[in-house]
Order: sequence, then structure tokens, then C-alpha cells
Amino acid sequence: MILDFTALTQLQPLFKLLSSGAHLNRLKDTELWLELENFQSHYESLFAALGFILVVDGRGFAYFKTELASSYTGKLTRRLALLIMLLFEYQADQGLHLFQFQQWRLDTSLLDHLWQQYFALFEAEEINSQKALKDILDSAARVGFLVSDDDVYYLLPAVHRYLDLFEELAQAERSEHIKEDLKEDIL
Amino acid sequence: MSLAQYGFQKLVLLNSAGYSRAELPLDDSVSIIAPNNTGKTSLINALQFLLILDKRHMDFGAHSVENSKRFYFPDNSAYILLEVLLPSGMAVIGCVGKGLSHDYEYFAYQGSLDLDDYRLDDGKLVAQPKLIARLFECGKPAKIYPQADLRALLYGNRQKQRADDPDLTIFPLEFTSQAATYQRILTRTLRLDRLDSKEVKNYLLEIFKHDLQDRNVDFKSEWDKSFADVNYDKSQYDAVFRNQALISAMEDSQQTRQALRGKIILWRPLIEQALNDWEDYNNSTTEQLRLRLRTSDEEAEALENRQKTIYEDRAEAKTVLKGYEKIESHYQELIIQFQFVSGIAQLQNQRQLLQKQRDELMRSIGNAEQQQSLGAINRNIAKITKEKVDLQRQLQSINNNLYLQLQKLLPTDSFEFLTRLLAKSVLSLPIDQAHAIELNDQTALRSFAALLESRLSANRLELPGLLLDLSALEPNLIIKTAQELEIEISDCERQLLELNALLNSVETLSQQKQNQQKLEQQIAELTNDEKNYEELLSLKVSALERSPAIEALKQKLTLLERETSKLAEQKKAILLAQEKHKADQKELLSQHQRINTARQQRLDQQPPFTILEQLPNFACMDATELAMPTLADRIETYNRDCYKLKQIDEQLNQQLAGLHRDGVNKFQAQDTAEQELDALFNYTAQLSQEQEAIERKARSAVVQVAAILRDLRDSLETFKRRMREFNNKINRRQLSDLKVFKIEPREEDTLVRAIQTLISTSEQVESGNSFDLFDQNTVLDDKELNKAKDILIKEGEARGGLRVEHLFRLVFIIAKENQTPAEFEDIDSAASNGTVLMAKLITGLAMLNQMQDSRKAIKTACYLDEAASLDQRNQRNLIEIAEEFGFTLIFASPEPQITARYCVPIGTTKGKNHISRLNWQILESLADVDN
Ligand SMILES: Nc1ncnc2c1ncn2[C@@H]1O[C@H](COP(=O)(O)OP(=O)(O)OP(=O)(O)O)[C@@H](O)[C@H]1O
Ligand SMILES: [Mg+2]
Repeated sequence: MILDFTALTQLQPLFKLLSSGAHLNRLKDTELWLELENFQSHYESLFAALGFILVVDGRGFAYFKTELASSYTGKLTRRLALLIMLLFEYQADQGLHLFQFQQWRLDTSLLDHLWQQYFALFEAEEINSQKALKDILDSAARVGFLVSDDDVYYLLPAVHRYLDLFEELAQAERSEHIKEDLKEDIL
Repeated sequence: MSLAQYGFQKLVLLNSAGYSRAELPLDDSVSIIAPNNTGKTSLINALQFLLILDKRHMDFGAHSVENSKRFYFPDNSAYILLEVLLPSGMAVIGCVGKGLSHDYEYFAYQGSLDLDDYRLDDGKLVAQPKLIARLFECGKPAKIYPQADLRALLYGNRQKQRADDPDLTIFPLEFTSQAATYQRILTRTLRLDRLDSKEVKNYLLEIFKHDLQDRNVDFKSEWDKSFADVNYDKSQYDAVFRNQALISAMEDSQQTRQALRGKIILWRPLIEQALNDWEDYNNSTTEQLRLRLRTSDEEAEALENRQKTIYEDRAEAKTVLKGYEKIESHYQELIIQFQFVSGIAQLQNQRQLLQKQRDELMRSIGNAEQQQSLGAINRNIAKITKEKVDLQRQLQSINNNLYLQLQKLLPTDSFEFLTRLLAKSVLSLPIDQAHAIELNDQTALRSFAALLESRLSANRLELPGLLLDLSALEPNLIIKTAQELEIEISDCERQLLELNALLNSVETLSQQKQNQQKLEQQIAELTNDEKNYEELLSLKVSALERSPAIEALKQKLTLLERETSKLAEQKKAILLAQEKHKADQKELLSQHQRINTARQQRLDQQPPFTILEQLPNFACMDATELAMPTLADRIETYNRDCYKLKQIDEQLNQQLAGLHRDGVNKFQAQDTAEQELDALFNYTAQLSQEQEAIERKARSAVVQVAAILRDLRDSLETFKRRMREFNNKINRRQLSDLKVFKIEPREEDTLVRAIQTLISTSEQVESGNSFDLFDQNTVLDDKELNKAKDILIKEGEARGGLRVEHLFRLVFIIAKENQTPAEFEDIDSAASNGTVLMAKLITGLAMLNQMQDSRKAIKTACYLDEAASLDQRNQRNLIEIAEEFGFTLIFASPEPQITARYCVPIGTTKGKNHISRLNWQILESLADVDN
């Protein structure tokens, strides 16, 4: 395919955003998202030539797939994963539908409740205060998992990545169970 | 098979795509059989020229359109022909090469496709320039169609056809406008390469376009339009609210201004009149005051003169009185002095007595002054007293004294000699026991006298160490007689008496002199007294006239005093009067000056004062009397009022301009600034009602905007419904081993929710809840609403408008038996090649079918290249599904596919492919054969 660079007007900002390890979100970065919508294949092959795998998820986010996360992002990823997992668990307990996570208001009182309920788990990950919780959210906001508005955080579509991951894990666990059940049956 | 079925009958290629001739049945499923690289795909692709028409949409895989033209139309006798059975009868649509340029043109005619029509007697194919004539000869009046016209013909677009054109509609679409989409899908379906959800979405949107209120909602402009008023009102409200304090101050100013205007209107004519009268008043009053002052001055002068006279009189009287009083007091003194004097004679006698004493004294003083000195007198006294004592002793010792004894005892010389040596007193000492001298041894005495005699020679006494000449010595004692002695003693006594008197007078001389002086003084005093006494006598005589004179003088003085004090009072009064007149004068002058100044400073000769009556004002109820003396004050107050009014005018104008700058412009349309202010004040007073009104407006704006969004949402719902129907359509038969194959819309949650937020707010607002809502939450401050709005505006602006397609994306949902359904955006990755191929084909066919007018079903063709990738069960299914959707399926594969009705192998002679009817193998199911 012959690439027409002049048509890719958002190349710079797109690359800057994505190569920083951040996620592009349809609603937050509407313009960039539109650009991707219109020239997805162009960008894919261009970035591929540069050694980046561009993933555009129709659920409204895009990112560069990386093999090795830096230790910092690795740590952040782990902590964020924990936080989001607990958040999902907490919200599920409240009877909320997980796929509507974009509508959740992550306000101080919600964070308080989370902290109260799971502080042992948080502390095990060296998240020692609600402040630290907020710091994680702020960092995550910088890489496009959340937006904050008036001290309230909202999850962005990119959080689907975590949700997918949890789903996969759950699935794996389920099939383990099935296998075990089968074993039991056989025995 | 029913003959009555409308649709494609056969495809014929002549001298095209490497075929000398190809006849392909299309009235039922076909399996084209040939080894690789023979011309299967080329044959099928030939249909594109007839069905897709538009070169831009044609797709020959790796071959460019330009090359394909060369391939398909090597010369002007290359043909691609399609026979179709239409409700109007059999028809042929053809495409013929034009020669060197490898161009081609379209033609069509009614009638069946007879290959002999295209072959000349010499076996050569008819060349393009002669085609129409040839066909006409064969009784088939064909017509050349430009590509666009043919397209209109095939897609039944009557509007673009001429009336005499036959009805050659092959693709009876429900909406001819969808022809382009149909073509595009057809291309895709014929080609069947990548078909992703995005493309499917676009096609489906096109397909369902007519069910959707397919508006491009410019949400921002809709919002702005609906809220223009509200926003404006709100901005006004906010601006006024912000400036409430200022506006209330302005209202006060306006009150003051109207009151001032009323006041000025009231006073203006009065001031005018008074100013006219002022000169006269000033002149007459000035004159009056001058006169008054002169009178006062005159009075003062008279008073002054009188006062002077009084002072003079008084001084004179006082002098006279003083004289009298001096005399009187002298008289009194004299009376006291002479109270014991009976008459002048007494005084004269006294004086003469004293004068006699004085004369006496003067004489004795004169005597005393001629005597010796006091010392001499005392020595005389002492000498005489001694003489007297000596004499008395001599007298006493006249019988027995030393002298006599010695005289008796001693020789005369010695005696004499001794008398010279011994002092008289010694010689005169009496000799007796009790006295100082003793003569106890007369012999010793005589011897001693003899011794002494011896020592004496020629009257010189020689004593050891002492030589004494006696010749110069007198004998100290010569014894006198008693008588002599007695006389001498009495002489002495007399002398002593005189001397003592003398001593006395000498001793008392200064005393006497003092006495004399005293006397002199007394005499002088007495002389004076006499004179005084005489004066007393004369005063006594004059006293009779003197005391009434004194009395009269005193009375006069009292009167003068009284008059003086009265004059002082009068003077004070006049002074006061003068001061007052002067003050009046000064005051008048100052008033005059002030009035002149004020006259100059009058502002009321220019607007707005000249038109004040026409401006809003409060009638002034002041008492309207204007006394001349108050004019200066009045006019100054008046000028001040004018100035103040002008200031308020300016200030209000500035403040109003400031408000304009701050955005308060709602009332600017008023005719006058004054009316604008009134409107502004009224508005401000009713701010809370205004707020309510704005809220009401905002609500109806929300309702308005929501109505448009509701269309969007409804479209989305419709689309979702259509998609459910569409899924039913493609799921009528199981597709491969898929338990689930669905194409489902996934809403863009945030956008849809934003829309929902607006709609539900609108519903709440419209419903009875509105009043509850009103109390808690105003639409304008509704955070969620604003957030929703922002989201929609942002999205709308980025995409140049909001459309239903922005509200969802499509996903393929695929699951085999025992699998949980999974979502895919790209179907290629969803399953195995064959399954994907089938899924794509079915999706494409279903979409095409969706567009067709179901009432006028005309069966067309579609093909599945590389059909061998499907197993027979799936092939059969596919044939049936295609059939249901109105398509006959063309399989192409190296091996025959027995699921098709026809098996058509491609023959090759001399490097040219050919297919003739004779090669067609018709496969019939046993069931059919039985029939
Ligand atoms: N559009 C075209 N323009 C020019 N040449 C073409 C075109 N289509 C096919 N050909 C040529 O025609 C010949 C036959 O190709 P075609 O693709 O029809 O074979 P095939 O029978 O479909 O083979 P396979 O079984 O491998 O698909 C090839 O030499 C090809 O290059
Ligand atoms: Mg082929």
C-alpha cells in the first residue's frame, strides 16, 4: 500500500499519545479517534513499519500493544489492575452492571468505601492510603484509563482491556473447574 | 424448475477474455469446472461490465481495469451478453468492444439471445459499427445506451429513462436511490474479499436509510438555536444579578434625578423673575442703607460733641471743687489747731515772752563765748583750790608745821636750802602723830642737815652721782601770817566762785544755743500761728459762702456723670445700628456678587434643562415664595441642583454604558435611556420571576432539542429493530456449523446516554414532575444535562454533525455449538475460511435482497469463486439461501460441485477457451428424476 502522509494529518499527535503508552479514547480524544476511524489501515501499516502494533478497539479505544511494560508502568498496571478489579467487584456487589462502567462516578465517597472494604489488599500492594489510591487514579488518567472532572473520576473505554483480562481469567478458571468436575465425575 | 421465473437466463462471451465463445446458464446454480488459471474467474468477472457498469466500482483483483478492458475487449467484435427474462419478456443486455481503444459500449434489446444474430455468414463475428443494423435485420431493434442510461434502465429508474425505452429493470429496488449502494454491495458480493463490520454498517445504514430519520443533526447549532433566547436571557439575568447593587444605586439616583427635575421645574420661572427684579431691589436697598448709615453717623457725631462738652464742664467743676475742698480742709485743720486759743493776743504775749528769754540767752551766750577755754578755767579752779588748801593748811599748821620746825632746828642756810628742795606742801605738813610726817629724832636730823651742808658748795649740791644747782631754785615756802592767810583764802574762794560760774556758763553754752534755737523756732511758730490764726478768722468769715458752692458743684458733677452714662448707651446703640447697616450693606453687596456669579454659572439655559418638563419628574411641593433677600441662597441652591442633576445625568449614563459593556443590553431597544432605566429597574425588581421565566424557557428549549434527539434515538431503535429482522433473515438456515451468527449494533454508550439524559430531562420537564424539579434543580444548572450537552456538542463538532450511525458500531457475533458467543469486528478472523466465505456471501446477499422490491423478484446471479472450500452441506445450504434471496449461485472450482444444477466444464482449443450449450451437464436430484 502506498501511504499518503499528507492525508494523515494527525500523525504527530497520535504517535505522541500512543507511543507514550497512553490509550486513546473515543470520547476523550474525539478528533484523533475520528482520524483513526477514517485511516485506520493506513496508520496500522505505518506504525507497524515503525515497529508498533496499533490496536484499535471498536469499543472506543486504541493503543500500542507492547510486549514488555516498563517497570513503572508494570507496577502501575498491576496496582491499577488491582484497583479496577476491586472496584468491579465492589460495584458488582452493589448490583451494578459492569459494562456500564463508563457511567460510574468514582467520587471520594466511593473511594472511601473501596478503601474501607479492601484496605488489607491495598496495603499488600503497598497502597497505603486513600491518597495513594488517588495517585494511582491520576496516573491512570494520564495514560487514558480515566478522566477526572471536578474531583470525580470516570472510567474510559480503555478499561475494557482490564475487563477483558478479568473475563479471560474467569473463563480459564471456569474451564479448570469443569475439568475438575469432569475428573470428579470420572472418579 | 419453473420456466415462469423471471431472472438471468444465460451469460455469453464472444471473443472476450480468452474465450472464443462461452455460454453459461444462469437460470440455476452452476458449477464451472476448469483447472487453475484457465478462465473461470475471468468468465464470472465479465458480469461486472453488465451489472456494475460503473468502471470505478469494478474490481478485477490483481488486474487493473485498463488491462481488463484490453482483456475483455481485444477488438471491435468482442461481446459480453446477458439474457434475462423479465416481466416484459425476454431481453438482452450487451456490451461490445469498440476497437483499438479497447473501449466498449452498451446496447440492449427485447428478445431472446440468439448467437447467430452475432455471427456473419462467413462465420466471423459482427463488428461493433454494424451491430445495430445487423440486429435490426434480425428483427431485434437494439439501442445503444450510454452507461448511465443503461444503469437507469437496469435499476428501474424511470425518471432517467425515455418514455419509449423498454422496461429492462433487472434490479427492482424499493428505492432507486439505493442503486449505487446496491451496486457497491454487489461488487463486494461478487468479489467477496474483506468485508468488515464498518463496511457492513455503512451498507446497512444505506439500506435502512429510508426507515431511519436519517438526519444529520448539527447538535451544536440546534442547541444554540433553541437556547439562543435562553442563553441571552440568562446572560442578561446574570449580568443584572451581578450588578444588582449598582442598579439599586442607580435606581436611587434616578429617584433623586426625578425629584431634582421637579424641583428645578418649579423654581426655574421664579428664579427667572427674581433675577429680573434684582437690579431694582439692589439699587433701592443700597440707597436705603446708605441713608440710614448717614443718619446714624450724624447722630454719633452729635453725641460725640455733647460728650466733649460734658468732659470739659466736668473737669472745670472738679478743679473748682478741689480748690474749695482744699480750703475747707485747711480751715478744719486750723480750727483743730487753734481750738484752745482764745484770741490773737494770747499768741502775741507768748511770743514776746519767748523773745525776752531769747534775748537773755543770747547775752549769756555772748559772754560765754568771750571766756577762756573750759580747760583753762578748770586748771585755774584747780590751782586756786590748791592755793586755797595750802593756805588753809598753812593756816591750820601755822603752829606746828615742818617749816617751822626746820626753821627752828636747822641753820638758816640749810634751812633755806631745804626750803628750796622740799615742796611747799611737804613743808607745810603738820607734824603730829597722825600725820604723814614725823619728827622723831632731832639730833639725827641736825646731823643730816650738817651732812647735807657739807655736800653743799656754792649753791650746788653734790650727791653721789648727782649734781644739783640750787641757785635757780626759789624757796618754796615763805610763811605768812594767819591774817594774810585768811585774806588770801577768801580771795581764793571768791576767785573759785567766779571761776565756777564761768565754768558753768561755758559748760551750758551749746545747750543754750540749742535753747536759743528752740526759742527762735517757737517764736517763728508763734509768728506763723498768729498769721494762721488770722487766716482762720478770715476763713471763718468765708465759710458761709463756701459750702453752698461746694454743694452746687457736686450736684453738677452728678448730673454730668449721669448724662455721660446715658450717652454711652446711646453711643452703643448707634454703634450697633451702624454695624448693622454696614453688615447689611456688606451682605447686600455679597448677595449681589453671589447672584451675579450664580447668574453666570447658570446651567439651565442649555439642554436638558430646557426640555426638563418633557422628562420624567416628580412634581415638587416646596413652598414657592421667593423673597429677594433669599435669592442668592436660592439661586445657588438652584445652580447646585442643576449641577447635581447634570452630574447624575452623566453618572447614570456612564453607569448605563458600564452595564452595556458588562452585557446588560436587553433594554437598549427602548426609545430613550430613561425608559431603558425604567425597564431595567422593573426587570431587576422582578429578578426572581425572570429567573423562573428563563427556567421555563430553558425547559422548552430542552424539550425542543430533545425532540430532535428523539428522532436520532428513534432511528437508532428502528435500526436495532431492522437489524433484528436482518439477523432473522440470515439465520433462516444454519450457516455452516455456527450456532449463532448475528450482526448486532452496539450502542456508543456515552453518546446514547447523553441523548437519553436530554430526552428524559425533557420528559420530566414536560410531565407533572416539572414543579418538583423546579424547586430542586434548574435546567440551566443541571450538571448532568450540561455534561450530556457538552459530549454531544463535542462529538457533533468533531464529526460535522450527529447521525444515527455515530450512536453505534456493528459487531459480528459468532458462536459454534457449545461456545459462548464472541464478538468480532472483522469477520475474517472469526472463523475458518469456508465459514467466513459463506458468512460474507450470505450477509451480502441478504443486504442485496433487503434492497430489492420483493414484489418484483427477478433472479440474478452471484458467484462463489474457489467453491471447493465449502463442504457439500454448506454448498447446498448456500444455494438455497441464495435462492431465497433471489440469486442463482455460480461456483467456480477445478472440481465439479455436484450440489449445483449445472456442471459446466471449460474447453480449450487452439489456446482459446470455449463453452457451448452442449457441454452443459444438468444434475438432477433423484427426487426430481422420480418426478
Ligand atoms: N481482468 C483480467 N485482465 C487480464 N487478464 C486476465 C484478467 N482476468 C484473468 N486474466 C487472465 O486470464 C487467465 C485466466 O485466469 P483466471 O483467473 O480466470 O483463471 P482461473 O480459472 O480462475 O484459475 P484459478 O482456478 O487459479 O482461479 C490468466 O492468465 C489471467 O492472467
Ligand atoms: Mg479463479
